Amino acid sequence: MATIHDEIDAWLAGDLHGELSDSEQSALHAHLLDCAACRKTHQELKTMNKILEETLAQEKPDPAFERRILAGFRDRAPQRAGFVKLLVDLMRLRAVQITAVAAVLLGLVQIGRLITGEPVTAPRAREHYAEFELAAPQPPESLPSQAGALGRSGGIAAGRPQDLALEAPAPPPSAATRSKFHEEAKTAATTAAPAKAAQTETSNAFPEVAVIEEQAAASPVESPAPALANQKLIRNATVELEIVSFDNAVQKITAFANEEHGYVATTNSEKQTNGKLRGQVVVKVLPENLDRFLQKIRSLGELKNQTLGTEDVTKAYFDTDARLKNAHVMEQRLIDMLKTKTGKVSDLLQVEKELGRVREEIEKMQGELKYWDSQVQFATVTISLAEKDMEEPAAFLLRERDQLALYAPDVEKIYNEIKGLASPKVQITNAQLNRDYSGRISAQVSMLIAPEESDGVIGRVKAFGRVENFQTQTQRTAQGGSGMSENARTKRDKVELNIAISREEQEQAFQQTSLRIRTSSVDEKAKELRALAEKQGGRIRSSTFSRGPDGPAMANVSLRVPMRNYPALMQSLDSLGKVENVSVQRQDRTDAQIDEANAPADVSIQVYSQGNIVSQESGLFATLRRTLAQSAGAIMWSLRMIGVAIAFLAPWTIAIIGVIWIARRVIRARRKL
Amino acid sequence: MDASEREQYQAAIHGDREAFEMIIRAYSRTLFAIAYGLLQNREEAEDVVQDSLVKAWKTRWRVRDPEKFPAWLATIARHKAHDIFRKRRTVPLSEQLTEPIEPEPTNTAALDQQLHSALAALPELHRTALTLRYFEEMDYRTIENTLGLTNGSLRGILGRALGSMRKTLRPALASMD
Repeated sequence: MATIHDEIDAWLAGDLHGELSDSEQSALHAHLLDCAACRKTHQELKTMNKILEETLAQEKPDPAFERRILAGFRDRAPQRAGFVKLLVDLMRLRAVQITAVAAVLLGLVQIGRLITGEPVTAPRAREHYAEFELAAPQPPESLPSQAGALGRSGGIAAGRPQDLALEAPAPPPSAATRSKFHEEAKTAATTAAPAKAAQTETSNAFPEVAVIEEQAAASPVESPAPALANQKLIRNATVELEIVSFDNAVQKITAFANEEHGYVATTNSEKQTNGKLRGQVVVKVLPENLDRFLQKIRSLGELKNQTLGTEDVTKAYFDTDARLKNAHVMEQRLIDMLKTKTGKVSDLLQVEKELGRVREEIEKMQGELKYWDSQVQFATVTISLAEKDMEEPAAFLLRERDQLALYAPDVEKIYNEIKGLASPKVQITNAQLNRDYSGRISAQVSMLIAPEESDGVIGRVKAFGRVENFQTQTQRTAQGGSGMSENARTKRDKVELNIAISREEQEQAFQQTSLRIRTSSVDEKAKELRALAEKQGGRIRSSTFSRGPDGPAMANVSLRVPMRNYPALMQSLDSLGKVENVSVQRQDRTDAQIDEANAPADVSIQVYSQGNIVSQESGLFATLRRTLAQSAGAIMWSLRMIGVAIAFLAPWTIAIIGVIWIARRVIRARRKL
Repeated sequence: MDASEREQYQAAIHGDREAFEMIIRAYSRTLFAIAYGLLQNREEAEDVVQDSLVKAWKTRWRVRDPEKFPAWLATIARHKAHDIFRKRRTVPLSEQLTEPIEPEPTNTAALDQQLHSALAALPELHRTALTLRYFEEMDYRTIENTLGLTNGSLRGILGRALGSMRKTLRPALASMD
């Protein structure tokens, strides 16, 4: 029992708390009887247990504890409103979470598509397909009804073969297509039979007639061979030709028509502005000769377009024919009825009325058959003829447009002189003299000159001043057509001349030069410079002089000389002092004619003396201050750059930290569980 | 754990307030015992229970296995109690312990004081096990489950707890007898 003695506390605790099994309990009691120490411990423990129970009973939560806790809980975790609660609860379900993520992804994709402008085509394409599927079964459905209609009226029955002919118009009906037509006629007849039966019910008033009708409808089915032999085909063709001479062609066509036992039905022609003819000839020929006739026509000129159409009216024709026969029988019977003259007057009137209706029908059907006969007898050929070079222009117009800029010392005088050029052959269309706020004068004159005078007038205008930028533009326009033509004549139109007059001053310099001259006596040298410029025919445009507090003086002189005197001026400048920093700028204008010797050249000269180079502020403190100022500037610059860097990086850093924080929270939460 | 309990936990996890309140009624005393075991203070323990329940409600969706719901509640309560305990460190426990324990058998208040000191001197786990046992009179198995202990280990723990207390309180006990 050493183990019990060693772990007496645990055993006694189990005993006190009633957690010992029966065998354990008896073992413990046996040991307690043996061991005095353990008995003592047992006693102590029992006492302590009692104290513990008593003491801790005071610390136990009171009966209202649960209510308090619940109230506190309700207070601190308030119930959410219905919808929000539902939403929040839903969001906690795995399936809903997945769905939400999928929806967000889909949304993003859609937004992306919107932004990139890629059309969202897939669903729409499916719709189209569905529409197509729906539309597809319709034709077969409508076929029987069409066939049913065939029996009722021959006119409508002609519709389908016509459609077929339009789809494949070129070849004349071969054996294969013929048999196909025949087959269709057969099926039409068989489908017509039930339609007839339906008709029988509706027209019960005359049952005998219906029977005859039925027999007539059945006949083509029993004997298809004659139907094949008596095919009723309407053939027609259209031909478009380009020929050399219209009249010649019409003569030849007439001759061909006669050869093929045909005739010219109509001719019309129309003359174009350029003298070419265009027209149409309609020829009727026997159908069996049609192909040969077309071959012949082709030799007349260049074939532009040809269509050949065949319309099968066999079915409709014989249908109408049979109905006509029935109508005749009907008419006879009605006449017989009238002849016997039995029955009431009202009955006779009824018969009379019916007879009128039947006769009208007979006439209509006879007319129809006659029309088909005429159409079948002759094939119609429509020939469109056009002479070659239909589009050639009748004449050309040559239009010249000139423009020039004139520079002169006295704008107003030149302006008046140009205006004085006006005569019946020289029309001034626009003349204006402008003076802007700074007193600069410019003028613009536009004139129209008769072509024969133009060279003389332009020459005189050019003599008024320096001409710059003379531009000539000619345009040849075709009249009454397009394209080239060797024969059409070219006419010269009036010459339009635009002149812009400006003062010489405003002219842009041909060449600009700037330079510096270092000298000790600035004022004196500047005066010398002005004298030199005047000697070379230059003009002083501006001149300034300034002297600073420390002794440096500076004079700026800007002048303009003609190009021919420019080299001489430049050489003479050397006498004034040391020439520095010479820079020359010239804009070569390739598009304009330039009188280079007289073109103006601008020279701007800076005459200066050095004075004191070192600034008066010198010494240790000034240096120190400058250094400090520069350092401060550098620091400010660095700070600004750091600020920029932070502004750039901060959002990213915050985002990354946020993600890490959330991830850590999630991981910690998982670990807690 | 029977099916109805499991169902109740599941409902609570999915946001059924009534089910959660049922769980509060069933477990708040257990949580109180746990908190009290650590803190030895009723007001603080009650606050811990309150905080733990609110936190549990707000984070209930983290519980994947409904079986572990009670153990999870206990964990939250232990963490909360620890937080408060740590904040209280400015007043060290040892000061309370160093108070002289004088045998004053006639004064029950003094005995209480001694008992509390002895309790405070125990390891946290022992204290919690004791409070669970003496407050709620829970059987060993339930206590083991709630505290996440292996089966059969509680007897030893309680034995050691009671043993050490007995030794501390021996003079007082001797005088009482």
